[in-house]
Amino acid sequence: MKWGRGRFARGAGYILVASVVCSGVFSVGAQAQTPAAEDARTIEFGKEIFKTKARCQYCHKWDGTGDQGYGGNALSLRKTQLTPDQLAMTVKCGRPATEMPFHDKFAYTDRRCYGMTREQAGGSMPPEPNQYLQAGEINAVVAYVFAKVVGRGDPDYDECVDFWGKDTRQCEPLKK
Amino acid sequence: MSKHRSGGVIAAALWATSAMVPALAADMTFERALNADKEPQNWLLHHKNFQGHRYSTLNEINAASVGKLHLTQVLALGGLESGGRYANGNLEATPIVDDGMMYVPNGWGEVYAIDLTSGRKADIKWKMDPGIDRAWAGDVACCGVNNRGVALWKDKVISISLDGRMFAINRATGEVVWERKIADPALGETITAAPLILRDLAITGSAGGEFGIRGWIDATDLNTGKQVWRTYTIPGKGEPGNETWKDGKDHWMHGGGSVWVTATYDSSADTFYQGIGNAGPDYDPEYRPGDNKWAASVLALSPADGKIKWGFQYTPNDPYDFDEISEHPIIDVAVNGSQRKLVTHAARNGFYYSLDAVNGSFVGGRQYVDRLTWSKGLDPKTGKPLEYDPTLDVQPYVVNSHPTRANPKGALKCPVTSGGKNWEPAAYNPDLNLMYVPSAEGCNMLEGKPQPDFVDQGGTAKPRDRFTAGSANYPADEPLYGSLSALDPVTGEIKSKVKLQWPNWSGVLATAGGLVFTGHMDGEITAYDSKTLKEAWSFNVGCGIMAPPITYAINGKQYLAVLAGPHWLRPKPAALKDQGACSMLNVFTL
Repeated sequence: MKWGRGRFARGAGYILVASVVCSGVFSVGAQAQTPAAEDARTIEFGKEIFKTKARCQYCHKWDGTGDQGYGGNALSLRKTQLTPDQLAMTVKCGRPATEMPFHDKFAYTDRRCYGMTREQAGGSMPPEPNQYLQAGEINAVVAYVFAKVVGRGDPDYDECVDFWGKDTRQCEPLKK
Repeated sequence: MSKHRSGGVIAAALWATSAMVPALAADMTFERALNADKEPQNWLLHHKNFQGHRYSTLNEINAASVGKLHLTQVLALGGLESGGRYANGNLEATPIVDDGMMYVPNGWGEVYAIDLTSGRKADIKWKMDPGIDRAWAGDVACCGVNNRGVALWKDKVISISLDGRMFAINRATGEVVWERKIADPALGETITAAPLILRDLAITGSAGGEFGIRGWIDATDLNTGKQVWRTYTIPGKGEPGNETWKDGKDHWMHGGGSVWVTATYDSSADTFYQGIGNAGPDYDPEYRPGDNKWAASVLALSPADGKIKWGFQYTPNDPYDFDEISEHPIIDVAVNGSQRKLVTHAARNGFYYSLDAVNGSFVGGRQYVDRLTWSKGLDPKTGKPLEYDPTLDVQPYVVNSHPTRANPKGALKCPVTSGGKNWEPAAYNPDLNLMYVPSAEGCNMLEGKPQPDFVDQGGTAKPRDRFTAGSANYPADEPLYGSLSALDPVTGEIKSKVKLQWPNWSGVLATAGGLVFTGHMDGEITAYDSKTLKEAWSFNVGCGIMAPPITYAINGKQYLAVLAGPHWLRPKPAALKDQGACSMLNVFTL
């Protein structure tokens, strides 16, 4: 599947994501076309990608507050000003000259990413990802981030338990 | 140094008498450990002998026969489960082999006892699962889910787990006899180093230099499972070295100095030599003006009480994350006509060092990596970087080789943050008097961010938060590669060197068969001629090797064993991206 910017924007996932951003309550804007249960599945799918497959949490932390160290200076996703489309492009193409990896296997093989090939990116070429992602996976992880992370304040206990799937000790300090 | 000396008198008595206690024939005794090289059929100690040589006198597999080496046993070890920040556990362990039985952990600390005697099937006799809360421990491991090995003591296997526990395991059944909580992940502490067992003490230390810990070395009485002593690697108030933390805000309390590789031991001086990790935070030396002892150092310690005999600091006020945790092989060699005992180290900072074992004075050393740009060289008298100025509180070294608060983006500097040689062990061939050093080669850049204080010092940084004050960045046009060098062990002069396609994360085995072995990220296990380093044999096991090879013999037949499994600190190179993860023991023979 090609990953042209326009085609991506027209995908069902984009509608899903846009609904989150515009409404602030997931699935409201798109529920006429997409049942809420399917939205929830997409978010859960995106969480697993965020957590394990793409390992977004290694650099951005489980709560998306951003971090530092061997994963680069990863920005806060809770405070991001990116739109879903921009975030999807960032996941797909990475951020040149930073440690944010690209995830489209064929990024920079043509000009789909910022109009640059690998040769043109040169030393600014974003690093390889943990694993490549298909368009549907990127849609899902963006849906997850906008449903559970973006625009939220400080992480709380329930959010921590929701992420880890059980009451792990690392959620203890968040108990009020 | 701060120490708990509860039971110190009892410990001293144990120390004096334990070697005299008779043991069963198959038990692991201190006497056997001291003479490990007299049992070439076994691999009894983490580094093969206490001196850290990883050299075997077995020679059935040699330059003439190595072409017939082939895979004879394979076994899946597991441990690929996710946890915390990680998608899977890694395999970095050096197996222990005694009388045809192998004892080896996976990254999650599951210990396997494997019967290898059939020569065909690797037969698991038992497996001990420590039951780690993977999310809890895996979220404060800087560099993967790792466990570098177990040790034998009497009729027990002694193991550790990432969540900071030590276990004494019945060697026959796998039942846990006792466990002791040593490190606390609530503080960012973890344990990954194989225990060093000296008489009845198990010595290990805390990892966590990227999470605001104050590092320590700790001894456990194996008879009771209780602590005997703990020595902090970062001196406390009133202790020698604390004056090298000049911030005036007690930043030494979170000063790093982690410990995550097994020490070497000299029985004649009853001294062990422990490599110490980087200062914290990694990339903001202005947060911690001063030399920051004993971060990025080696310490010579007394095993009975943990007392520091001497220390040598490689990179004072380290702004690069050049922690020097890796092994310090001990060698007896002639230097200018005199026989001397030296403690050696291929440092993560790209220099090789030899030090006097008695007092830590600098004997020799030089650059061993292809490119080293942060310093122009070592002072021939002191061994300090030429740019080191003891009158300065913050060391610039080569200007712009690291970030400063005024200029947070450092220029390209070499070697890369992870080294040089990282934890992957070197090997020493005493017959050829050559030190074999595996290494990564390449360069990267550092970007700094001013470090906020810890909450217990009035700031915002919390326990388990990353405490790095910035990040390491890797430009795409500076691809990393690796090397294997044969060095003069006194001067560090390179006698031969071979370029490797990938940074080395496996370590080296040297043998009397005239060969050195190492594994590679693409799954190759390769034998090189011990003098020329010309490739003599190679085989691909199908997934990356990030663990040290060992050799042993059963019924007079020599075997080569190595674990293959993930250790991907950084994302896999594109060329290896499609290769899946595995967790395998591979055994070769002629």
